[in-house]
Amino acid sequence: MDAELSVPALLGLGADGWGWALMAGAGLTLAVALAAMAIGSMLGAALAAAEASRRVWLVRIAATYGLVMRGVPELLVVLLLYFGAPGMLAGVAGLFGLPAPGSPPAFLTGSLAIGLVSAAYQAEVFRGGMLAVPRGQIEAAMAAGMGPVARLRRVILPQVLHHVLPPLGNIWQFNLKDSALVSITGLAELMRVSLVAAGSTRRPFVFFAAAMVLYLILTSASSALFRMIERRGSRWAGGR
Amino acid sequence: MDFLGTTSLGLLRAVPVTVLLFLASALGASLVAAVLVAMQQARVTQGLARAWIFVFRGTPLLLQIFMVYYGIAALGPIRHGFLWPAFREPLFCAWLAMTCCCSAYIAEVLRGALGAIPVGQIEAALACGMGRWTRLRLIVAPQVLRLALPAYGNELVMMIKSTSLASSITVLDVTGVAQQVIAHSYRTLDVFCLAAAVYLGMTAALTAVLRRIERSLDPLGSAPR
Amino acid sequence: MTQTSPSVLSARGITKSFGGRAVLRGIDLDAQRGDVVTILGGSGSGKSTFLRCLNLLELPDAGTIEIAGTRAPLAHDRHGKARIANPKALNALRTKTAMVFQNFNLWSHMTVLDNVIAAPVHVHGVPRAQAVDRAHGLLEKVGMAGFAGHWPRQLSGGQQQRVAIARALATDPDLMLFDEPTSALDPERVREVLDLMRALAGEGRTMLIVTHEMAFARDVSSHVVHVRDGVIESMGPPALMFGPDASPVFRAFLSP
Ligand SMILES: Nc1ncnc2c1ncn2[C@@H]1O[C@H](COP(=O)(O)OP(=O)(O)O)[C@@H](O)[C@H]1O
Ligand SMILES: [Mg+2]
Repeated sequence: MDAELSVPALLGLGADGWGWALMAGAGLTLAVALAAMAIGSMLGAALAAAEASRRVWLVRIAATYGLVMRGVPELLVVLLLYFGAPGMLAGVAGLFGLPAPGSPPAFLTGSLAIGLVSAAYQAEVFRGGMLAVPRGQIEAAMAAGMGPVARLRRVILPQVLHHVLPPLGNIWQFNLKDSALVSITGLAELMRVSLVAAGSTRRPFVFFAAAMVLYLILTSASSALFRMIERRGSRWAGGR
Repeated sequence: MDFLGTTSLGLLRAVPVTVLLFLASALGASLVAAVLVAMQQARVTQGLARAWIFVFRGTPLLLQIFMVYYGIAALGPIRHGFLWPAFREPLFCAWLAMTCCCSAYIAEVLRGALGAIPVGQIEAALACGMGRWTRLRLIVAPQVLRLALPAYGNELVMMIKSTSLASSITVLDVTGVAQQVIAHSYRTLDVFCLAAAVYLGMTAALTAVLRRIERSLDPLGSAPR
Repeated sequence: MTQTSPSVLSARGITKSFGGRAVLRGIDLDAQRGDVVTILGGSGSGKSTFLRCLNLLELPDAGTIEIAGTRAPLAHDRHGKARIANPKALNALRTKTAMVFQNFNLWSHMTVLDNVIAAPVHVHGVPRAQAVDRAHGLLEKVGMAGFAGHWPRQLSGGQQQRVAIARALATDPDLMLFDEPTSALDPERVREVLDLMRALAGEGRTMLIVTHEMAFARDVSSHVVHVRDGVIESMGPPALMFGPDASPVFRAFLSP
C-alpha cells in the first residue's frame, strides 16, 4: 500500500482519488438527515398534538417519550435499531407465520433512529409554537370576520413559523451531525466513506480533514438557507 | 447470578468511566468557552474564536473524535513527540475532542447570556464609576451565570449523552461495555434497555442537581419547579 | 447663582452626532453647588444624550466637561473620533456623579440593600458594615426602610425608583443626574418620587433633571433650561421662564 500519493491525488476525482466517493457520501448524509427530519416532523407533530390533548394517557405517553429520547444517547438508539431491527422484524413476521425477512436496509434503520430522536426535540418546538400567538390576536381575527382557515393562514401560521423556524434550523443541524452515527451500520455516508478511505490509504488525517470540510459545507450552507427563509418570512417582526 | 443481573453490574461498573469523562470534559469545555467569549470581545482575537466555534459546531463529534485518535495521533510530530503517551490513550483523545467540541457550544450559550443582560444595568454600573473588573465580578458574571444556567444545563445533559461516542474508539464506558456484552451474548434488546436506563439515571440526576442550583440562584422562585 | 458657590458643573461646547446626524450642536451649561437645573424639551431634542455625555456614557464629539474640579479625560484621534484618555480619571469623574434612569436599572440579581451598597463598597472601598449602616439610613430616607431584603422585581415602579435614588445617594455624589425619573411610572406613583426629589433639593443637593413635570420644574428649579434640536434655546430662573417674558418658542412648547 503506497502511502505517498499526494493529497490532491488522494482527494481527486481520478482513478486513485476518493473525491467521488466522498461526495457521494456527503449526498447520502444529506439524504439520511432529510429522511430523519421528515420522520421527526411527523412524529413530532403527533407528539405535540398528544401533549396538547386532554387525554391523560396520551399526554403521559408523549411526555415519557420525550424524556427517554432526550435522556438516552443517540448512539444507543442507532445501535438498538441496527442490532435489534432484524429480531423485531422476525418477531412481527413470525406472528403472521412468515419467514424472517432478514435485516432492513441500513438507510431505513439509520434515518428512523435519528428521526425518532429528532421527533422528541421537534415536538417541544411545535408545542412552543402553538403558544406563540396571543389569544387577543386570534380574537381580533374572529372579530374581523376571518374564518378558521383565514385565521390559520393570515394570523396563526406566520407567527408560529416565525417562532419555530430558528429552533427547527437548530434541530436540522443536529440531524446532519447525528447522521454520522449511522456510519456504524455500514451505510456509506460521509463518515463511513472517510473511515474506509482513511483505513485503506493509511492517511487518516487527510480524509478526516476532507470530511470535516464537507460537513462544514453542509452545515453552513443549510444555516444560510434557513436564515434566508427566516428573513423572508418575518419581515414584519422588524428583521433580525 | 442471572444474565440481567450480571449485565447490570457490568454496566454500573462502567459508570465511573462515563462520569469521569463527562466531568473532565465539562470542566475543560467550560474553561475554554470562557476564554473564547473573552476572545470575542477583542477585535484581534475575535476571528480565531469565531473560526473555532464554526469548525467545532459545524462537524460531528464522532468525526472529531476519530480525527484526534486516528488522524492527529498518526502525525509524525505527535507520534514521535512527547505528547504520544497522552494521544495513545483513547480516553484522553475522547476528552480532548469533547472539550474542543463542547467549548464551542458553551461559548455560544455564554455569549447569548452576555447579550441578554439589560444594557441599563451595565450603564448603572458605569454611572457609579465601577471599573472593568468590578463590573465583571459584581454585575456581569453573576448575571451571565444566572441567565446562562438553563441553556448551560442543556449542554451538560447533551455532554453526558455524547460521552457514549468514546466507545467508538475502544473506551469501555457504559456504551462500550454494553456493546461488549452484546457481542458475546447476542441479547440486544435487554442489554440496550439496561444501558438506556443507566443513562436516563445519570441525566435525571444531573437535571435534578441543575434545577436545585437554579432554584437557589433564584430566591423568588420564578424558575420552573 | 450666588457668587461664592463653587462650580460643580461646567460643560462647554458639547457636540454629538449619531451616524452623521447632529444630536447635540454645542451646549454650554454651568451649575453651582446647590443648584437644581431642570432640562425641558421635546422628545428627541437631545436631553438624554446631553445628560449621558456628562458622565461619559456617551462620548461627546467635542467640548470640555468639568465636574467638581475633575476634568473629563477626553481625547480625540486624528479623525476627530472621541476616546477616553485615561480610564482611571473616567471612574473618578463618575464617582463624582450619580445617575437615576428612566427605567430604574436596578441590578436584578441583587437585593435592594446590595444595590445600594454596591458602589460604596466596591468602587469607593467603604467598609461593608459602614456602608450597610448608611444604606439603611438612606432607605429610610426614601421611604423604603422595610425593603432591604427585597428583590427589585418584587417592587412597584415607584418603589424601584426610590431605591434607585437611594443607590445614587449612597456615594454622596457632587452632582446627581436624573433622566426622566418619573416617566415610566403610573400617575399615582409619580408623586412619591417627585416629593422625594423635592426633599433632596431642599437639602442643597446639586441636581440636573430632565423631566416633563412642569409644575415640579417651576416650583423646585433654580434654573430652567429649554433644549431644542440639540441647542439650548433659552434658559433662566423659573420666574422668568414661566412668566410672560419667556422666549416665544419656549412658551409655544409649554402650551402647544
Ligand atoms: N445611541 C444612539 N444611536 C443613534 N441615535 C441615537 C442614539 N441615542 C440617541 N439617538 C438619537 O438622538 C436623538 C436625541 O435622542 P435623546 O437624547 O434620547 O432625546 P431626548 O432624551 O431629548 O428625547 C434622537 O433622535 C435619537 O434617536
Ligand atoms: Mg430621553
